[in-house]
Amino acid sequence: MKFERNNFHLDNENLQADKKNFPLTLIAFSFLAITVFISSFGFFDNNPTRSMNVLAQTQEPGNNNVTDNNPLALSTLIKQGSPFYGNETAPITIIDFSDFQCPMCKRHVDNTEQQINSTYIQNGDVAYVFKHLPNRGLDSMQAALAAQCTNDQEKFWEYYNILYENQGQIDSGWVSTENLKKYASQIKGIDLIEFNSCYDTKKYEEHVQSDISLANSLGFTETPSFIIVKNDGSNPQKIEGPKPFPVFQLEIEKVNSE
Amino acid sequence: MKNNIYSSVKELRTTLPIALKLVYLSNPVLYTGISVIVFSSFWIIFNIFDQLLFFSPILYFYVPDDAQIGFVITNISAALLGIVMSMNIYVIRTSKLRINKSSLLSGSLLGIVSSACASCSSIGFLIISTFGGAGIIATGFLTNYQIPLRLLSIVIMIWALYVVHNKITKSCLLNNSDNPKNKSNTK
Repeated sequence: MKFERNNFHLDNENLQADKKNFPLTLIAFSFLAITVFISSFGFFDNNPTRSMNVLAQTQEPGNNNVTDNNPLALSTLIKQGSPFYGNETAPITIIDFSDFQCPMCKRHVDNTEQQINSTYIQNGDVAYVFKHLPNRGLDSMQAALAAQCTNDQEKFWEYYNILYENQGQIDSGWVSTENLKKYASQIKGIDLIEFNSCYDTKKYEEHVQSDISLANSLGFTETPSFIIVKNDGSNPQKIEGPKPFPVFQLEIEKVNSE
Repeated sequence: MKNNIYSSVKELRTTLPIALKLVYLSNPVLYTGISVIVFSSFWIIFNIFDQLLFFSPILYFYVPDDAQIGFVITNISAALLGIVMSMNIYVIRTSKLRINKSSLLSGSLLGIVSSACASCSSIGFLIISTFGGAGIIATGFLTNYQIPLRLLSIVIMIWALYVVHNKITKSCLLNNSDNPKNKSNTK
């Protein structure tokens, strides 16, 4: 079969079809422009001088009593009732802002967090703190409230693993009151009456709201987001998104060395 | 209907390689170059949105277990985009026929947008903060249905490929007034 180059002419039919397709093409182009415009915020909004009151406070030169005033100091976070694991005197703290409905948070839990645990937390070099940032769906707040209730009985991390293992699609119903109570009942030794009472009365609504406010003051817009600090809350380094383990290694070294 | 589809697919097995040969052998450097550039560009964009490829603070690429299906779809989408783009440029250069821009664009855009919203990235937050509850529902929908949406984008690109291959192999609107079939086109 041989094809030769021909001079083709646009016929009327094609011109009409072009007219019909023009609005569709215009919409497609607008769609692309909007996508590029919006996503550019994520890539180019890395201004280190962006105002972050909390970070500024941690680095004030005249602030001698850093630990007591610093909202990112491990002792302050523990006092506030934020769930944590690892050595209380670990020189480095990783603060994780996550949402139990966020698939990227699950990716972090299944991959990077395990590597951080085996490399740094087991050695006592790092303590890991959880903060709630329920912004992925309408049901996210319920999961955060239930999880915080398990912290009263020191069962947070077991519940945390159960929630991520059972993670379903966003707002698909997997975070129903019934399911949250069922997941709690799977934890050995948990007092379900205490848990149910805590959850039903929304005991930790204020706590979760203060976590959200802290995340906002740090400029975090996505989950998971992290801040790596020294034990006293100084020298903070931010990580946004489910970054791989080498990125955490790099930031931990930075915090350690400065 | 079934027979029509079967015969179309059967026909495609012979005509698609011809169309590809026509495009890539006419100017191997140009069209292979275009395909490679388009494939690489979209591969990078898709993988950045999927949070698999990082440029800062270090260059790093990884494919965790949960991202394997998405990664395969990403590669197929990027490859199809590269081929369709080259073929469309060939059509533009060798003829005055219109290209099917809408198929090409909607296919590639679906791929970009679904992968962008799939990640918990600032795009989702911006939509949520702009549209409130409706935004949460919209980003939730895009996250939940990212794989079907990406598959849909592949289907659209396959359609674009089929259309452009037809234009290359079955172009018949000749400027030949002697041909009675074309008389209506030469008014």
